[in-house]
Amino acid sequence: MKVVVFGMNHRTAPVEIRERFAVSETGTVLRKLVDRPEIAEAVLLSTCNRVELVVTTKSPDAVQHVLVDFFARELAGDALPTRASLREMTYLRQGREAVEHVFRVASSVDSMVVGEPQILGQVKDAYREAAEAGTCGAILSRLFQRAFATAKRVKNETGIAERPVSVARVAVLLAKQIFETLDSKSALLIGAGDMIEAALVALDDHGLGSRRVVNRTAAHAEALARRFGGTAHGLDELDLLLPETDVVLACVGGSGPILTRERVERSLWRREGRPLFLIDIGVPRNIDPGVHEIDSAFLYDLDDLQEVADSNEEERRREVRRAEQIIVEEREHFEGWLVALQAVPTIRDLSRRAEGIRRGEVDRFAGRLALDDPRRELLEQMTRSIVNKLLHAPISRLRDETDREAGLIRLEEARVLFGLDELPSAKDELASEPAMGDEEPESSS
Amino acid sequence: MYEFEQIAAALYLAAGVGALLGLVLPAPRMLAGARWGLALGAVFQAAAFATLHRLEPAPGLTDLAQAVSVTAWLGVLFGLALFSRIRLPGFVPVLGFAAFLAAFGATLSDPGEAIVGEGNGSIPHAHVLLASAGLAALGLAGLAGLFFLLEHRSLKRRRSVARRIQLPSLEALDRVNRVALALGFSLLTFGVVTGVLWNEARSGRVLAGGLHETWTVVAWLIYLGLVVLRFVGHQGARHAAASALAGFAFLVFAVVGIGIVS
Repeated sequence: MKVVVFGMNHRTAPVEIRERFAVSETGTVLRKLVDRPEIAEAVLLSTCNRVELVVTTKSPDAVQHVLVDFFARELAGDALPTRASLREMTYLRQGREAVEHVFRVASSVDSMVVGEPQILGQVKDAYREAAEAGTCGAILSRLFQRAFATAKRVKNETGIAERPVSVARVAVLLAKQIFETLDSKSALLIGAGDMIEAALVALDDHGLGSRRVVNRTAAHAEALARRFGGTAHGLDELDLLLPETDVVLACVGGSGPILTRERVERSLWRREGRPLFLIDIGVPRNIDPGVHEIDSAFLYDLDDLQEVADSNEEERRREVRRAEQIIVEEREHFEGWLVALQAVPTIRDLSRRAEGIRRGEVDRFAGRLALDDPRRELLEQMTRSIVNKLLHAPISRLRDETDREAGLIRLEEARVLFGLDELPSAKDELASEPAMGDEEPESSS
Repeated sequence: MYEFEQIAAALYLAAGVGALLGLVLPAPRMLAGARWGLALGAVFQAAAFATLHRLEPAPGLTDLAQAVSVTAWLGVLFGLALFSRIRLPGFVPVLGFAAFLAAFGATLSDPGEAIVGEGNGSIPHAHVLLASAGLAALGLAGLAGLFFLLEHRSLKRRRSVARRIQLPSLEALDRVNRVALALGFSLLTFGVVTGVLWNEARSGRVLAGGLHETWTVVAWLIYLGLVVLRFVGHQGARHAAASALAGFAFLVFAVVGIGIVS
């Protein structure tokens, strides 16, 4: 049984193509997929940056055709792309590569913004939906549990998710480097537009003591203040509000700076040197850049925040190398488990084949020699002992070497050498020979 | 006993290394473990002080190495008290390594080398304990000042978020500076007063005119000025941080360095 990943992501297909394949109700789609004989288990991950099918199959050679066909027929809907273009925009990973890919996706190493935390939740949702639809068996369950553990290790053991990469989060982190806590701090919002609202949402997640909104248009200030439980003020009250403020967020239209260095210096005198954090996201700028030269004032404009965000993103990318090592380790653990799991049916089939041959030969010779019961029992014991001794070494090797990389190859070789795939399954035997159904072959594993 | 002091030194070293790794990796659990290491080290060091009199010859509390060890121990205790109220991750490795050097140094020192001669009664011990406690608290103020200056500089250079190790917030560092300065100056004042009483008991004079006394009094006067500037003159946080660092450097020279130089 092999793990296969088939799909498209932000690197292989543009958003206008990806959105055609987005699936909201995955249960029905997954059940249709596992109805196909080539597919044993399936999980569908559909996010804004990727649509991927993770499946297990016994026939990896045939699976690509099946999955391309499934993508085109079931997921694309009306806007059906040609098979050739679909092949160009998708990728297929098998075995080791597929396992590493799933771990990479869950750990956010494969994300557009490396280290972003949302993907793990999306992978967990995809797994849960597949489990609810009944399309996730032992192998994919184990694979996804290991993927979650890998993501946790990557998060804890590398700095991949450590540094913020969005402007709003960078502003929050800066505020935390200046203030012990934001709970008791008051924010002054100069402007009432979308940018101010977005920055306020980010700061608000970390708790803010009070919010005051200052705007030229009183109605806009009042609307924003109402939404965030603050108070609205006119621009003429700025000098009164500034000394009571810890965080200033400015984004308001106008030709010149609203907060000049002198104005801020005056207010800081009344603040007795307590630090003041100013974020200027206005274009043109609303705060005089000279304010940053004041000892206890820290002014960051949009470019500064973006620069920090970019450098953090670069830093995250450097952490990817450490994450890859963890992913390889976890993949090896998973492969070991998979090989061990796959050894069980091979050992059982081998024992079943040997027992079938032994019993057939005993029956043949017992009839020809006209053996009585005690002598037949002796023959049974002797042949059983020969078979067990013959099988002991190959079974031990198959079992003991399951944790090695070569384990899977050895299992394949054993199946070919002993013709195990030509054996009728236990189910078939029961169906075709009901009278012999009560005589289960002895397993020496 | 020196065994206890050596165990304490080993624990402090482990705490210092653990805290440093915890900050660099970063590994919050390692950092939390390092704080426990510091606390355990302080317990063993307390046991070492309690059993020092059993040594032959017993080192006096006024022995320089032991006094430095006591200062480091008190610094660790003050630090642990601060950690319970304020998040100060950068302090743990510095305290760990400083306490290791002090505790390990005490086990290697010659008990005969005393910074000041012994006197009668408990005044010398009170002097050493109070002065050491003052030095420890002012050391923490200086350390907070150093971190404040580093953090302030990186925020002004707009490089702060890209840095690997996160320092405590400016506000927290300023609070530590304020508290440690007030506590340290009070203890140092009591240390100077008990020193004067000790001098008077030994020589009948308030000031014996020795280098140690003179330089310590000058250091105390400097700190008096810093306290006035900080609490009355509304000195800015950055200037207060720089003053605390410079003041501590001068104090160390006045209390320890001058004895070594002369």
